[in-house]
Amino acid sequence: MKKDKLIIALAGNANVGKSVIFNHLTGLHQHIGNWPGKTVEKAEGTLHFKGYTIDIIDLPGIYSLSTFSIEELVSREYIAVERPDLVINVVDASVLERNLFFTLQLMELETPMIIALNQVDMAKKKGIKIAYKKLEKTLGVPVIPTVATRGTRLYELLQRSVETIEKRGKKLSHVKYGEEMEERIEALSELVKKVDYPYPARWTAIKLLEKDEQVEREIREIDPELLSAAKKFAEEIERIHGHSCSTVITSERYEIAGCIAREVQDIVPPIKPPMRERLHALTTHKILGYPIMAISLLSIFYSIFTFGNYTSSLLSDLFYGLKPIFESVLGVGIVGRLIWGGVIEGIIAGITIALPYIIPFYLALYFLEDSGYLSRIAFLLDNLMHKIGLHGKAFIPAMLSLGCNVPGCLGCRIMETERERLLAAFVVTLVPCAARTVIILGLVGTFVSVQWALALYIIDLLIIFLLGRLAFKALPGEPTALIMEMHDYRVPHLQTVLKQTWFRLTEFVKIAFPLIIIGSLGIKLVEVMGLLNPIASVFSPITVNWLGLPDVTGIALVFGVLRKELTLIMLANLFGTADFVQVKDFGPVQMIVFTLVTMLYIPCIATIAALVREFGWKKALFITVFEIVFAILIGGMAYRLLMLVY
Amino acid sequence: MELYTPEEDRKKGKRKVERMELRLTDLRDGESGIVTSVKIGEGRRRGERRGAERGWGFRRRLEDMGLTPGTRVTVVKSAPFHGPLEVFVRGSRLALGKGMAERILVEVER
Repeated sequence: MKKDKLIIALAGNANVGKSVIFNHLTGLHQHIGNWPGKTVEKAEGTLHFKGYTIDIIDLPGIYSLSTFSIEELVSREYIAVERPDLVINVVDASVLERNLFFTLQLMELETPMIIALNQVDMAKKKGIKIAYKKLEKTLGVPVIPTVATRGTRLYELLQRSVETIEKRGKKLSHVKYGEEMEERIEALSELVKKVDYPYPARWTAIKLLEKDEQVEREIREIDPELLSAAKKFAEEIERIHGHSCSTVITSERYEIAGCIAREVQDIVPPIKPPMRERLHALTTHKILGYPIMAISLLSIFYSIFTFGNYTSSLLSDLFYGLKPIFESVLGVGIVGRLIWGGVIEGIIAGITIALPYIIPFYLALYFLEDSGYLSRIAFLLDNLMHKIGLHGKAFIPAMLSLGCNVPGCLGCRIMETERERLLAAFVVTLVPCAARTVIILGLVGTFVSVQWALALYIIDLLIIFLLGRLAFKALPGEPTALIMEMHDYRVPHLQTVLKQTWFRLTEFVKIAFPLIIIGSLGIKLVEVMGLLNPIASVFSPITVNWLGLPDVTGIALVFGVLRKELTLIMLANLFGTADFVQVKDFGPVQMIVFTLVTMLYIPCIATIAALVREFGWKKALFITVFEIVFAILIGGMAYRLLMLVY
Repeated sequence: MELYTPEEDRKKGKRKVERMELRLTDLRDGESGIVTSVKIGEGRRRGERRGAERGWGFRRRLEDMGLTPGTRVTVVKSAPFHGPLEVFVRGSRLALGKGMAERILVEVER
């Protein structure tokens, strides 16, 4: 019987061009979601080919199928249990040995597969020629050389994929380890065959010998005796080799990968170091690397904020220009005010405050990532990040957070362990986002002095550093060290960059917009019902007595939770003027204290939602409450200190 | 990038070449050695509460990235202020955190 629906999964190392192939194959028919119950991205797309409807799943980029990260776990579960019709293993031709190590593991999972030998153009530039027919023969897996960025031979890739699926039933070849290892794998897999376990027997046997945590746990429930058999075999191997059994297996696997790589590739390195090598040496240079990084990042941030600011005011003028038209339709009654002030203004705020910053931030991020510079920045900043228990990669969510904390929180997924994700998220929510920058510059920068605005940034950085360090000491566990591949510099692939930005954007809109709208509606409702002043008096012990602020600021602070950038506008409304210098009891000290509290006191409601999504209610609540208490504490202390100065 | 080659020294008869075991962080820029072992889970460090378990993960991770015993690894350079190491292993370039690199023992000829 002919199936007309096929499922093909793309698997491979990070940065091998998997997503480029995915984009080429599926075009606009894509959907990005999460793996059920996991904070790991799942990209799916569909295409039609030769009468088939093919679902393509883009698995996360990983280096191995052990259980070090959630991505690895998700991938191997998917391949072994869900059993896609075919796995396309995308291999970077310029780093063949490392990539083949992963290929060998895929083969052990006994999944039907073919290899897309990608970036053959890059390999050629590095002087590497690969006899792909020979590789195909050695592995017993079809190999198609491709250049995904130019779409070269992707049609052939699909054709061979479908052929491979149609010709199913062919015996799959697998890796042969050393004799003493093979004996034990054989014996153990015979035992595994007797129990009911969804993974292939040979693979399970190997994983048991490797002491894979997940497989051990699951097998223990089925048949504990299997574990003791595996333990005995593993100890025998350890005695023979003097290394742990998993080390021996990984070593042998790499040896085989290396052997195959040496056999099929012919390397004639170029005599003159190519441009990208010189660029690498320069950008990671012990001394020059840092000023280059500082200049590039500052100019990127500066352009983003200049662009964001300009676009933001342009859009805002445009939308508010529509207000009279709107009022003439819905009137200025209670319903009209609620819809305009609640719903429409919420949408406008989302569009004008968040998007002009988030879009360029994501674009910049993906350009930096795809080109390879991001990993160099992580290399240079690793040391600094270690002081707060994180490694270099944590720079990425921190940078995103300057635009908006929501993508920052979601970006924490690149950290390997749960502990690091949480730590990074905590730090990231303290980074001043675009909305907070509006307040810092709009209040302190305009009415006190630019120096004070700058000082607030520096104070915030110091606080981030200190709190990060405290949290790092308080959280149990050891920090993960940086282990990261720095792939060669390359020209970023525009389409992939745009697409990734687009997906992030839709994700952001889905999370943040409903909450921004609900928030705005809430504010309007309270205002219409005349509850503003009662709220202000409830909070006056904190705002007036402890922080030394006028009591109406309580209202602005409460609603700042819903939309942070709104605090300034609300303040202007409450004071009846936007020229804050004229306001009694709201001098420079109060402005600084108010800004400081706004900066620290809470991630906005959209950020809280992102935290809940990534870490659950409890942790999100803890971070929120902690930050409120902390901000009030610091605000009060700052007030008392500043009173001594002014 | 200029590699340090003990063979040249030997040819010139400058000095006798010695084999020694060093930490990866003790290598000079451009020098290479053969990985002998990774010291993880032996001797607990401060703050390491589930030492053995996490150690397993780290060792795994290093080995998965190709740093298995017997592998030749070249230190390209290290970032200043005790920053990470840039190493070249199995045809690719890796960044390795200092704390991690310190625990990798390599055999070098000097």
